[in-house]
Amino acid sequence: MADNSNDPVAIWQNMLGEMEKGFNSFASRAMETPEFSKVVNQVGGATAGAQKQLGDLMEKYLVGMNLPSRAQMVSMAERLQSIEGQLNEIKALLYQVHQNSSAPKGEAAVAPKPPRTKRPPPPGGEQK
Amino acid sequence: MSAAAGLDLQSIPDRIQSEVQRAIQRSIKGVEYISSSGPALGSTPKDILHVRGTMNLYHYRPMSDEIYRVPILIVMATTNRGYILDMVPGQSFIEFLLKRGYDVYMLDWAAPRPEEKSLRMEDYVLDFIPDCIRRVQQDSGEIDVSVIGYCFGGVLSLLYGSIFADGPMKNLICFTTPIDFREMKLFQNFSDRRYFDVDRLIDSVGNVPPEMILSSFEMLRPAARAMSQVQLWENIWNDEYVKSYRMFDRWATDTLPLAGEYFRAITKDLMWDNKLYNDVMSVGGRPADISKIKVPILHAVAEHDHIVPYDAAKPLIQKIGSTDKEEVMLKGGHVSLVAGANAIKRLWPKLDLWLGERST
Repeated sequence: MADNSNDPVAIWQNMLGEMEKGFNSFASRAMETPEFSKVVNQVGGATAGAQKQLGDLMEKYLVGMNLPSRAQMVSMAERLQSIEGQLNEIKALLYQVHQNSSAPKGEAAVAPKPPRTKRPPPPGGEQK
Repeated sequence: MSAAAGLDLQSIPDRIQSEVQRAIQRSIKGVEYISSSGPALGSTPKDILHVRGTMNLYHYRPMSDEIYRVPILIVMATTNRGYILDMVPGQSFIEFLLKRGYDVYMLDWAAPRPEEKSLRMEDYVLDFIPDCIRRVQQDSGEIDVSVIGYCFGGVLSLLYGSIFADGPMKNLICFTTPIDFREMKLFQNFSDRRYFDVDRLIDSVGNVPPEMILSSFEMLRPAARAMSQVQLWENIWNDEYVKSYRMFDRWATDTLPLAGEYFRAITKDLMWDNKLYNDVMSVGGRPADISKIKVPILHAVAEHDHIVPYDAAKPLIQKIGSTDKEEVMLKGGHVSLVAGANAIKRLWPKLDLWLGERST
């Protein structure tokens, strides 16, 4: 193995790694205290409450302006996504139907599935 | 001996030249990085078998002339996208399984819609998973199904397996699955019942926003994101490093929201009351005791898992009712256990060896 003890780049990288570990460890110890949980949850709870109130207020404003709200836009986007998904399913089915109808008579209508006959290789044996 | 005494003076010009070249490459590649998108992920050919709201069931097209009798259903964690198991060709767990002759299905999750905030734990365990199992059975023509659960997907699989202990699950594989939630120390503190008002949160926001989930993951290692940016800049001349960085970074930040009622149940039943570990868990009024699970089980845990520490995952094998059970601890972290170079070398071959002989 190469000796990196005098390589300034390696020393720099090692120092960064140690700094990261040190900071993570320090932060973890701080975050394990009940005081941290109390402060974070107080702030988080207040923020969630304020967000909810602001959201409700904005919703009323947009209704008043006869404009769609963000929730309605998100809902529309989700409906579109769902329609796209269903279109994809229909396309897949159509493709399958087309394949079936174009297959010569007597041949399997859909691509044959591989047989479920595989056995594990013997101990020490190579995989096929 | 001083550092200067050991310094190889002849190597200094070469080192300087190499660093200058890398600095030039960084500038060129840095521009390329900003102006290009990352590699396409999750591109192994698949068919969508069923979509219902947040639930997506895929069937991956076989890549082998002959496949094992028992199909596999992968249950993904509800916080993240399933493409972590299908990164790019050559680094895809799904592709590996297909080439080894497995018939693979995946239960993957889309972001729950606002109206899906009322989804409960029982919707996931008593409806979504059994529905997917039925569809896998119909599609494959086989009764038996092996289940692989990653992280919280493992918890859902355990709950399912304990309630439906008579089948049709034939084998269970869990990756980094927590069971003793007291041991998830930081998550415990974030959700301390004295200060965390889960009811107020859910009643305010409906579904838990993905930013909140991502922040709670990132807070476990607060310096990691900044340091990864520094490392990216240092290695931006290295195409392989950048490709890998982009894949994992995109996945890690592509966090899903969680359905409100489901999150409420996780917080109260698992984080606060630790019901699964204490053998008093129930889902929709049905007892979910993992000692009822008798099928062969493999539990893969990571040595340096900062999300699910080993102490949180360890009791799974002790408490499960199976006689054919094995825990394997591998080098790596929560994600590198299942994806990337570490997984290719360690977990995937181990899993193939274990599952192959139980899939006939």
